[in-house]
Amino acid sequence: MDVLLTDEQEMIRETARSFLEGECSPQLVRAMEADPLGYPPEMWRKAAELGWQGLSLPEAYGGSGMPLVYLGLVIQEVGRAVAPLPLLSTAVAALTVAEAGSDAQRGAVLPGVVSGDAVLTWAFTEEDPRLRPEAIAMVAVQEGDHYVLSGRKMFVDDFVAADRCLVVCRTAPTRGGNAGLSLFLVDTKAEGVSHTPLVTTAKDKQSEVVFDRVRIPAANLIGRAGEAWPVVERMLDRAAALLCAQMLGAARKDAEMAFDYAKMREAFGQPIGAFQSIQHMCSDMVIWIDGGELLTYEALWRMDEGLPHQVEVSQAKAFCNEKCLASARNAQIIHGGIGFMMDLDLHLWYRRIAAWGMRLGTTYEHRARVAAALIDRPGEVVLGLPVPVEAPASGALAEPERQVA
Amino acid sequence: MNFGYTPEQEALRREVNAFVAEHVTPEVLQDKEAQDDQMHGSGVADPFGPSMRALYGKLRERGWLGIAYPREYGGQGGDRISQYIVEEAFMRVGLNISLSGSGAPAIMAAGTEEQKRHYIPRLINREITFALGFTEPHAGADLAAIRCRATRDGDHFVINGQKIYTTSGHLSSHIYLMARTDPTLPKREGLSIFIFPMSTPGITVRPLWSIQNEPRAPLGTTYGEARTNETFFDNVRVHESTLLGGENKGWKVAADGLNLDRVGAFRYVMSIRRDEDMVNWVKTTGLEGYADNPAIRDKVAELWIEAQLCRLMTMRSMSIVQRGRDFSYEGSAEKVWAPEHGVRTTEAITQMLGPYGQLLRGSPHAVEEGVFAHNVLGAFQSGVNHGGVTIMRDQVARRGLGLPAMRRAKAAAH
Repeated sequence: MDVLLTDEQEMIRETARSFLEGECSPQLVRAMEADPLGYPPEMWRKAAELGWQGLSLPEAYGGSGMPLVYLGLVIQEVGRAVAPLPLLSTAVAALTVAEAGSDAQRGAVLPGVVSGDAVLTWAFTEEDPRLRPEAIAMVAVQEGDHYVLSGRKMFVDDFVAADRCLVVCRTAPTRGGNAGLSLFLVDTKAEGVSHTPLVTTAKDKQSEVVFDRVRIPAANLIGRAGEAWPVVERMLDRAAALLCAQMLGAARKDAEMAFDYAKMREAFGQPIGAFQSIQHMCSDMVIWIDGGELLTYEALWRMDEGLPHQVEVSQAKAFCNEKCLASARNAQIIHGGIGFMMDLDLHLWYRRIAAWGMRLGTTYEHRARVAAALIDRPGEVVLGLPVPVEAPASGALAEPERQVA
Repeated sequence: MNFGYTPEQEALRREVNAFVAEHVTPEVLQDKEAQDDQMHGSGVADPFGPSMRALYGKLRERGWLGIAYPREYGGQGGDRISQYIVEEAFMRVGLNISLSGSGAPAIMAAGTEEQKRHYIPRLINREITFALGFTEPHAGADLAAIRCRATRDGDHFVINGQKIYTTSGHLSSHIYLMARTDPTLPKREGLSIFIFPMSTPGITVRPLWSIQNEPRAPLGTTYGEARTNETFFDNVRVHESTLLGGENKGWKVAADGLNLDRVGAFRYVMSIRRDEDMVNWVKTTGLEGYADNPAIRDKVAELWIEAQLCRLMTMRSMSIVQRGRDFSYEGSAEKVWAPEHGVRTTEAITQMLGPYGQLLRGSPHAVEEGVFAHNVLGAFQSGVNHGGVTIMRDQVARRGLGLPAMRRAKAAAH
């Protein structure tokens, strides 16, 4: 038990921070908001030289095989700099290929990720934004040695930048413990794929993607047909936990800008940071962000240890959704009118924190999963001991625990 | 970064829990209640009953007292996490065997070799206990404004003044006192800490009754104390060897000691006990629809998540102590979050209980001996004492974030 960073972890964080301080200015962030591709390929290649894309991928494919906690630290720094890099989308998809792909699939995908030559993304959500298997309507029909994919995915990150996309499709109806889902690796330039950019508060690169009878080789099926749900569920949980890290990085930097402003801005003959009303807002901000970090890294650590982690992921995401935004809102209030102005950089952080809190599980969804684990299982609960999760009804946020391989 | 216990620590946790289940008998808890009852009286020969004494003997045999303290001072030379594991198991049944709040951490940090050898083993074995003499009627949050004077007279000091909220003052063997030794220095620089017996001539203890008196709060209530005290010092003469940390060094000794005192199982368990109660009550109430009510489920989960932070912030403080690092603002942050969380949970469960939530101990139909109603009377008190939440937020902002102090110039008053 030692919840502080090790020296090695501190070093990873410092390296990432100083790299991004040098490479990623607010001007670049603004420029990429207006750029159709949305990321600077040069910075992506430099990130690969630092080993970011392969940080938690297997060494056999050129990765570093480091725990997810380390990847979380790097993604937290990406969030701190609000760096326009498709790292989260690429890492989430690549980790799933590493976990569930065949040797051939891993060999075909992962080395390109590690080298920085490839950008990946993944697509789960459709019209119904809830994270549960019933929300998947997109179908994949086998025709000989091909599958034909038809449907519409929403809120797909970095689709324009991505070379390949993991797509969750229905190959059978949901019934009796079998969610009937399958996972496919799809070339984003395949015939029949079209996309429309969405205009988001974060001004990041999310797309609506239409698959119109897209034929892909059966060899691109990841894992077994109809049995992808456990893999998909772990993908969603990893993505949510890593997104928490990204939000926290952004929220910490955003808060620090407010602390600095409070020390500098004067009113009533004082720096406004001398007033307790401001001091107490600031102290709550740091307490919330620290708290989000503790929850998030406990979830990531449990994944690394192969322990049940669904409740911990939901704890972290529910808390970060609310508290990162509350902190960013305080930062806006401390800045007063200038915080609303396009010229000040503060909104680059606020807009992203707000947007990320709406993705990969709302506060209500995640609390519902925590409540199910606490209430729907017989026996007394004891805080500090793992909360066992049993399978009640269907739903991503109410499925049985499965250990990470 | 590691959020788990080692196999040895996990084995200890299981062993201690099994011990608690076997040895913390109804007799022991009655003894503890009797000890609490003496909070009503004034002066007591033996604050421990025979069962509690026997229990302490067993703890000593097993090497579970003062685990993280060095062997030369009567400890076990072990790790802080193991000590925490033992403390938590006992706190969960309402017995505080921890040394948090005892003064021992401050003596280890600031005491002379002689003081450590004298006090630490006795504190570990509960042969002595300290009452905290900091607050005065006009100086609570602004602690450095205290007026209690200790005037040097050769190698002695003569103490005159009044302290308030000297809880357990009538049961404790010693007082851990902050007094002003040099009124000519700036207010934080002229303070000193003294430790001396409550039997020293010139000390008078008078009871102050809390809102937990009549009826008495059940064991396990957060701040269920019925009695605290005001303590008067009238020409109390003590030797200079009773100084802790040196003359005029009291502010830092006290601040460091308070931070260390806040760390541990005591505050953690106090802040989260009602969360477990709440979930277990919702599960077992049998009232139709309660467990399925989405509003209640959402609130339960929200508070459970908050409670995890009480645990994780405790673990963070443990990690800091274990590494031998100083606190920046983390102890203060914990002292904001945990008490306020305890209040939120207390208020939520009474909203779930409705009118039953008001029934105190001894009332017909009281739920769980009235513990939730008594918690309504007590929980907010953790946000008040030992550094209230407003002062703790000041500390987070100033020490942690470097925000400036208020300018005292006329401009401020405009």
